[in-house]
Amino acid sequence: MDSLRIEATSCSPLIDFDPAAGLLRIEGESYPENSFDFYAPVFSWLEEYLKDPAPAVVLDIGLSYLNTSSIKCMIDVLEMLDGAHQKGQTVSVRWHYDSDNDRALDMAEEFAEDVSLPFEILAH
Amino acid sequence: MKGNELFNLQELLSRQKLLICFSGPFSHSVIEELGKAVRNHLENERIEKSAIMDVFSVYVEQAQNVRNYTASREALGRPIPANSGIVVIGKEGDHYVVSSGNLVEADDVPGLSAMLEKLRGLDKAGLKAVYKEQSRKPREPGASGAGLGLIDMARKATRPLEYSLRAVDDAYFFFSLEVQL
Repeated sequence: MDSLRIEATSCSPLIDFDPAAGLLRIEGESYPENSFDFYAPVFSWLEEYLKDPAPAVVLDIGLSYLNTSSIKCMIDVLEMLDGAHQKGQTVSVRWHYDSDNDRALDMAEEFAEDVSLPFEILAH
Repeated sequence: MKGNELFNLQELLSRQKLLICFSGPFSHSVIEELGKAVRNHLENERIEKSAIMDVFSVYVEQAQNVRNYTASREALGRPIPANSGIVVIGKEGDHYVVSSGNLVEADDVPGLSAMLEKLRGLDKAGLKAVYKEQSRKPREPGASGAGLGLIDMARKATRPLEYSLRAVDDAYFFFSLEVQL
């Protein structure tokens, strides 16, 4: 399966998914003009990938700001990964946040509440 | 605009402690550039990063709501006359206040006011419950947003959302929303 890479812009994050290594990275800020259009390729890539993923998959998220429609997209991404976890695949999330931004921590904690997969929140 | 009208407008605006005011058609690039300006300004004020992000995020939700609503009416073949919205960020005492105004179709008024009245009656825990419930709903086909914007603003606000809906003519109301942080 091909890797997925979408370069960051000032209002959309870097998407860098390496299928062989099982390393998925989303980094930056997310308030694109249309979040659902922006994340559509991410959803379809993940749907395909999670049928036969690497032995261990880690999603590294470093999002300092998301608008509400991006939050909805991120919930959908996490639900897809949580589904794979519930089927017995090894999937985890590491959420990175800037320690002087309390809002980013609150947001990470709310995302973690809704999933059962291993979810680490790391301050930088 | 004539000189004395501009003077009056400027005087009216400067009575509020105004950070930014934009009125006109909202494009994504306008929303982005104004957002950058707001953040730069607040960073220079040396306020906490979380407070900067609250102002910025309420501004983005309001501006994108205005833009998405306007774009959706255009897509339905019912473009809004005088296609312009307004967004204002100011300071009242120690609080930043983010406000927006735009025309909405008369048919949308009952749903909008019911939603806002519901949110106004909820405490923090109630708002969180409504937010979680909405965030788990599958996205409506064709919807540009997730239906979370108003709930998110209500959660960030330090007092219930203030709003008004004023009839402009038979077809349109002017909707204004004020969020105090």
